Amino acid sequence: MTHPTTFLVSPAPLRRRTPRGSRGRRLAVAAAAIVLLAGCGGYDDTTVPEAQPASPAPAAPNTLEPCDNDGTEVRSYEPDADETDNDEVVAIRERGKLVAGVAADTLLLGARNQAENQIQGFDIDMVYAIADAIFPEEGREALDARNRVDLKVITAAQRIPLLQDGTIDIVARNMTVNCSRWQQIAFSEIYYNAGQKVLVGVDSGISTIADLAGKRICAPAGTTSIENIQVLAPEAIPVTSTDNSACMVLFQNGDADGVSTDDTVLAGLAAQDPYATVLKTDFLTKEPYGIGVNQDNVGLVQLINRVLEDMRRDGRWKASYDRWLEPELQVEGKQPPPRYGR
Amino acid sequence: MSQTASAPAPQPAPSAQPAVPATAQPSHRAGVAPAASPFSENVPRLLNRLQAVAVTTCVVFGILAAVIQVLSWQAAGRAADNTEQVVRVQQIQSLLLRADAVATSSYLSDGLEPAAARAEYDAAIDDTLRLITDAADAQPADRAVLADLNAAVSAYTTTVSQARDYNRQQLPIGIAYLNNAGTSLRAEALPIVTALVDTNSERAEDEMHGQHPFWLLGIGVLALLTLFWVNSQVARRFRRRLNVGVVTAEVIIAVLTLVAVGHAVLKNNDDDATRDGAYRTAIDEASARTAANNAKAFESLGLVNRGSGSTVWEPQFQKQSEIVVDKASADTAALWSDYLDLHAQLRDKDDQGLWDAAVADATATGDGTVTAALDAVDASASAVVDESGDEASDGFREGGAISVALAIITLLGGLIAAGAATRGIDQRRKEYS
Repeated sequence: MTHPTTFLVSPAPLRRRTPRGSRGRRLAVAAAAIVLLAGCGGYDDTTVPEAQPASPAPAAPNTLEPCDNDGTEVRSYEPDADETDNDEVVAIRERGKLVAGVAADTLLLGARNQAENQIQGFDIDMVYAIADAIFPEEGREALDARNRVDLKVITAAQRIPLLQDGTIDIVARNMTVNCSRWQQIAFSEIYYNAGQKVLVGVDSGISTIADLAGKRICAPAGTTSIENIQVLAPEAIPVTSTDNSACMVLFQNGDADGVSTDDTVLAGLAAQDPYATVLKTDFLTKEPYGIGVNQDNVGLVQLINRVLEDMRRDGRWKASYDRWLEPELQVEGKQPPPRYGR
Repeated sequence: MSQTASAPAPQPAPSAQPAVPATAQPSHRAGVAPAASPFSENVPRLLNRLQAVAVTTCVVFGILAAVIQVLSWQAAGRAADNTEQVVRVQQIQSLLLRADAVATSSYLSDGLEPAAARAEYDAAIDDTLRLITDAADAQPADRAVLADLNAAVSAYTTTVSQARDYNRQQLPIGIAYLNNAGTSLRAEALPIVTALVDTNSERAEDEMHGQHPFWLLGIGVLALLTLFWVNSQVARRFRRRLNVGVVTAEVIIAVLTLVAVGHAVLKNNDDDATRDGAYRTAIDEASARTAANNAKAFESLGLVNRGSGSTVWEPQFQKQSEIVVDKASADTAALWSDYLDLHAQLRDKDDQGLWDAAVADATATGDGTVTAALDAVDASASAVVDESGDEASDGFREGGAISVALAIITLLGGLIAAGAATRGIDQRRKEYS
């Protein structure tokens, strides 16, 4: 870039050109600098915009009457003599199959056994017992062979809507009976008295609720489980996740010291992790499970209640409990006594 | 300036009597009386000044026009580089979702992951990591976020491995790990890739406007006006309308201006065509490829999370499908339509409670299967992205040699014009002497 400068000063005497030559050089240097700087192509560092928290979906308007769980919510319809021949049961029998809403990812209650390609668990045993009463075919194999049971895997949120619209006949999916739900559907008598407990590490040193002080306890966001922990163990650090399994992932990855939800669910989670155990404490809350049925199908409810009493008498309920839940909960199973009066 | 200011002016030739008006510029030197008439004007000094003005004009024109052309050439190169970076990070995005689609589909195989699927997953992740390294080498400004992306991909693959391990042990907690992997991929890795795509697209499009025909035209016109003024000043004093040297300089600069402006306009038009053509095609097709694999992952998650396929995952599938339909090339869109038919059959089976049959559809391989249909979509989109991406970057780089040659010619032309102007005014100076 020096040539232009030389050329610039060449027509004039050298002495006079010196200052202009100096300016020319500066111009040339400046031009070269511009080219070089442009060649660098320097950009500001790339940045990632902050994620905007998703706004929660608006809650559906609550059209239910306020109510108190005063003990009457566990009352169901007493079986009568001809429940196997009432209209609702006959309708199912004529259709040829019982459609049950179940879970497929809750080990011990309702989960797919990949080796046998079957959904199995304590809740599933209830379904097949009911089906066996509608289609007396002696056992699951016979019922499956004739395709008498349609296990429709549903989410928790689908339980009531699918019962109401008739898509499914029953729900056997760790469903807590309460007075609000009675306004929407009907329930069988209580088939299991579950309750909130806490899962912790085997050698965590936690053995009581008081030991949870300063520990990170996970429960699904928006559930009563996390609120209960905050009330009963106010010094515990609440951690939330999307669901119980996601809480277990946090626990296994060391991002939580414990998980709190229904004891039945915790039993299933503990069964998948030899380094986890369910604390043998009193229930933090009571979660009585019932089989959900459409409000209009009282006859089906009566049949289910008859089946549950039959299971009590012949030991099928105890056998199912001992197979699925007792090994993890290590508490003797007691089938809740029937309560009628509706 | 002393010799022209103090030496007595030689008697000018009658034919060369200056025609400077009485208001001709006075000398500002101390002790020199202002010119009272044209005859008192210091013509040699004036010629020196006019010569300096002409030479400076030509040289400055040459330098500035050359610099502008070099800057434009460099901008075109950066547009091409940034385009390649956009294609590269979009490929990372597509590969990550391809890996997720394969991982989620494989999960349906009850822990016995098909070897071919595992190899495809591993290849996709390996390619992703290589491309992250390439991208970091290509653009230093992206390095920090690419390091974050590397960490996010590592977290994703770790979680997929955990899910795979639990699945092999037939424990349902594996589903939570698989869901967690997908969530972390979409919440942590993909926002980084999206930011990289957006930022590099912005950089590429900014550089596409690196041609400056109006600047070149402005500089050229300004130079020509200045030389015209110099010529007129000389003409007024020597009664000759044209100074051959100055006119030659004007012609050179006019020609250089026209050629430079013409080239810039043509290159601008070419860049616009490339941006609206191959570049846009590459970007859109890569978006379609990403969305197709994302949709397939949602389809599989709808089966893995049994019971929630139609309510939770199918709406997400449909959103991605809309992107594919909107962005894909005609060939890829036609293949996607074939895939959608098979997807509808699969969903129908799941919705009817025939989960096993739906899973069989989702995991089957060979002609006419969902997997083959998605592979066809992916291959088609990938080919279009590769071809269009190359075409776009080549298009932006095209004409680079001409730009550099023109810059050199412009610079030399400016210097030659300066020489011509010098000779032209030297001629008058001799005549004056």
